[in-house]
Amino acid sequence: MRRYRMFLIPAGGLLLILIGFLVFNIQDDLVYYKVPGEVVGNASIDATDRFRLGGQVVPGSITGGDGAVEFRVTDGVETVSVVHVGAPQQLFQEGIGVVVEGTWDGSVFNSDSMIIKHDEQYRTEDGGVYTPEQRYPGE
Amino acid sequence: MIALVGYTAILVALAAALGMAVQGARSFLQAESDPRRMLRWPVWGLLAGAALAMGALEVALLTDDFSIEYVARNHSRDTPLIFTIASAWAALEGSIVLWGLVLAGFAIAVFWSIGDRDRMGAAALAVIGIVALFFFGLMASAANPFATLDFVPLDGNGANPLLQNHILMAIHPPMLYLGYIGMTVPFAFAIAALATGDGSAAWLERTRRWSLLAWTFLTLGIVLGGWWSYEVLGWGGYWAWDPVENASLLPWLTATAFVHSSIVQRRRGMLQAWNIALVIATFALTILGTFLTRSGVVASVHSFTQSAVGPALLGFLVVVLVGSFGLFALRAHLVSSPPRLDSLASREGVFLLNNLLLAVFAFVVLTGTIYPMILEAFSGDRVSVGAPWFDRAAIPLSLTLLLAMGLGPLTPYRFAAPDLMWRRLRGPLQAASIVAAATVLLGVRPITVVITIWLATFVISGITGLAHRRARSGEGGYLAGLGGIFRKNPGFWGGMVAHVGVSLMAVAIAFSGSFNVRQTITLDPGESAPFDGYTLTYEGPTLRQEPNRRVIGAEFTLWRGTSRLGTLEPRLNQYSNQVQAIPTPSVRWGLREDVYLSLVRIEPGTARVTIDAFRFPLMWLLWAGALILVGGGAWSFVGGRRRRALDRPMVTARV
Repeated sequence: MRRYRMFLIPAGGLLLILIGFLVFNIQDDLVYYKVPGEVVGNASIDATDRFRLGGQVVPGSITGGDGAVEFRVTDGVETVSVVHVGAPQQLFQEGIGVVVEGTWDGSVFNSDSMIIKHDEQYRTEDGGVYTPEQRYPGE
Repeated sequence: MIALVGYTAILVALAAALGMAVQGARSFLQAESDPRRMLRWPVWGLLAGAALAMGALEVALLTDDFSIEYVARNHSRDTPLIFTIASAWAALEGSIVLWGLVLAGFAIAVFWSIGDRDRMGAAALAVIGIVALFFFGLMASAANPFATLDFVPLDGNGANPLLQNHILMAIHPPMLYLGYIGMTVPFAFAIAALATGDGSAAWLERTRRWSLLAWTFLTLGIVLGGWWSYEVLGWGGYWAWDPVENASLLPWLTATAFVHSSIVQRRRGMLQAWNIALVIATFALTILGTFLTRSGVVASVHSFTQSAVGPALLGFLVVVLVGSFGLFALRAHLVSSPPRLDSLASREGVFLLNNLLLAVFAFVVLTGTIYPMILEAFSGDRVSVGAPWFDRAAIPLSLTLLLAMGLGPLTPYRFAAPDLMWRRLRGPLQAASIVAAATVLLGVRPITVVITIWLATFVISGITGLAHRRARSGEGGYLAGLGGIFRKNPGFWGGMVAHVGVSLMAVAIAFSGSFNVRQTITLDPGESAPFDGYTLTYEGPTLRQEPNRRVIGAEFTLWRGTSRLGTLEPRLNQYSNQVQAIPTPSVRWGLREDVYLSLVRIEPGTARVTIDAFRFPLMWLLWAGALILVGGGAWSFVGGRRRRALDRPMVTARV
C-alpha cells in the first residue's frame, strides 16, 4: 500500500494543478446561453458581451429579408427584439426555435450568427411536439 | 398482442439477467463448481428474451401495429421498408432493445469461452449479468418499447426524418453501440480479475480480442459520425467538439490507451493495476456517453429525445464508479505488478508516454465536456465551451502522440542504446526533414501544418522502413515476405497499419483546419460569383417530389477558368412529418480540395439564393486514413483470431 500512497500523492497533486489550469483557461472560451427572461432588464450585461440568445420566433414579428432580418424571440415570459445581419436560413420561420449569437445593447440584440434548433422531436407549425393523437386521431 | 409478447420477452430477459448475476456469483464463490452448467439456462434465456423482444418490435413495425406508442411515433403506413426495419433501433427505446440483444450475444460468446472451475469466467458473466439487469430493467420501466396507447391511431408519425434523409443514420449509431457494448467484456473480466485476486495477465489474454473488436467498432462509429455530419448534415465540418461528439471520443481515448498498455503487461508484466483502472474508466465513460446523449443535460446540436432514462443512467454510472473503484481500492494490491521498468529510454517508456498523453487528453476533453453541467448546477449559468479551448490542448497533445508513435515501434524493449536508436532513426528523420522542407518550399507556412507533415512522414517512413527490412529478410520473394510479416504478427502489423492511418488523418486535419475557406454568397438566377479561384454560376432553383420527401434545391455550375467542373445542388429535404426541412450540402470531391456548398436560403418569388461555400483541402485523405485505421484494427483482430492457438506465450505478472 505504501508504494501506492507514494504514487497517489504526487499524481493527485499534478491532477489538481491540471484541473486548475484547465478551468482557469476555460473562461475566455465560454459562450453563455441566455433566454429573453434573463436578458430584459438585466443591468449586468455589458454592451460588448457576446452571448447566445435562445427562444421562439414570435409569429408575425419577422420583417426584412435578404441582407438583414428583424424579429422578436420569446421564452414565454419576456420578448427581445433581434436584428440579424445576414440572410436567415431557409428553415427560419415564425414559431421556430432559434439560437442567435451577438450582443445586447439594452433594447436590441444584434446578431450575426443564427442556429435553427434541430431536434429529434417532430414539431408542429406552432412549435409544439406532435403526438400521434393530434395527427391521426383514432376511430 | 405483440406488445404482450414483446414485454414478456423483456421480463424473461430480465429474469435471466438476474439469474446470470446470482448463478455467476455462486459459481465464483464455490471453488468446485462448473459455471458452464450453472449458467447455461440464464445465458441462453437472456439471448432468447432479447432476440424475441427485438423480433416482436420488428413485427410490430412491419404489421403497422399503431397501438404500440413506439410504432405510432416512429413509423407510418407509407414508410419505405428499409426505414421501417431500421426504425426498430433508430429511436431511444428501440436502441436500448438493440443494446440488450448485442449484450446478450456477447454474453453467449463469453459463455462459450469459459471452462470447468473457471472462477474468473463465472465472475465475468456475473458482471455482464448485472449490466444486462440494468438495461433490461430500463426496458421494463422507463424506456418500455412496448408501451401501448389507449387508442389506436389510424396512422403513425413516420420514420425519423434524419433517418429517412440518409441510411447512414441506421448504421452509425449501431457501430458506436457495438464499440460501447464490446467494452463491457474487458470490463467484466477486469472486475473478475480483481474479485479473484488473479495477478496474472490471464484476463488480458482472454479479452484481448474483445478489446480490439470494440475499439475497431468504436473507431468506425466515430468516423462514420464525422463523415455523416460533413457529407449529409452540412454543419460545415466533421468535428465541432460538440458534447455528444466528445462523448464518443472519451471512451475511445482511454480504450486506445488500454490497447497499448495491455501490450506492455503481456510483454513485460507491468502496469497490471493501471490496465484494470483504464478498462473501468473506459466502461464508465461509455455509460457517461450514453447518459450525455440520452438525458438532454447538455446543450448540443444533437438534441435527442429526453426521458426518464437520464436519471437512471446517471444512477447506474454512480453505481459503476463507486462499485468498481471501491473494489479496485480494496483489491488492487493483490493484482498489482512490481515495478520493473529498466529505463525510461525503452519501448515501455514510450508506451508510458503514450498512456500519459492519452489519459491527459481524455481528462481535458472530460473537463471541457462536463464543465458546463457543473457550472449550471452551481450558478445556473448555461454555457458552452468553444472549440478553440479544445484545440489549444488537443493540438500539442496530438503532435506529441505522433512523435511517440514514430519512436515506439523503432525502440527496443528494456533499454534503447543511443547508437542503436540513431542507426534506426536516421532514415525516418532524414525522410521527414526532406518532406517537411519540400512542403515549406511549396508555400505551406503555418507551423502546425509543417510540424504535422514532419511527424507524419517520420511515423510512416519508420514503419515502411521496418516492413521493408523484414520483407527482404523474409522467406520467398519480397512480396511474399511482406505478406508473411502481416500474417505472422497480425497484432503488431495491424497496429502499424493503424498508425499509418492516424498519420494520414493528422495531415488531413491539419490542412483542413488551417486552409479551409468559407464565404457566404448571394446570387440571382443566371448570375455568377468568384469563389476562391473557382467561379460559381447559379442556374436556378429546383423543386421535385420524391417518394418520401419534397426536395427544394439550387443548381450551381462550378467552373475553374473556362473549364466546367460539374454541377452542384445543395438542397433542403422536406419530410411530411416535420415542418423543419433538413439541409443537405453538395460536395464536389477533389484531390486538392473539396468544394462544399450548403444552402442557406432561397427567396420565395425572386428565387434569389444565399449559400455558404466552403473549401476543405485534402478531405479524401481524412477518409482514406480513417479507412486504413479501421482496417488496421480489424486486421489485428481477424488475423489474431486465425493464429490464436499458436502464439502468445503467457507472461504473468509474478514470474
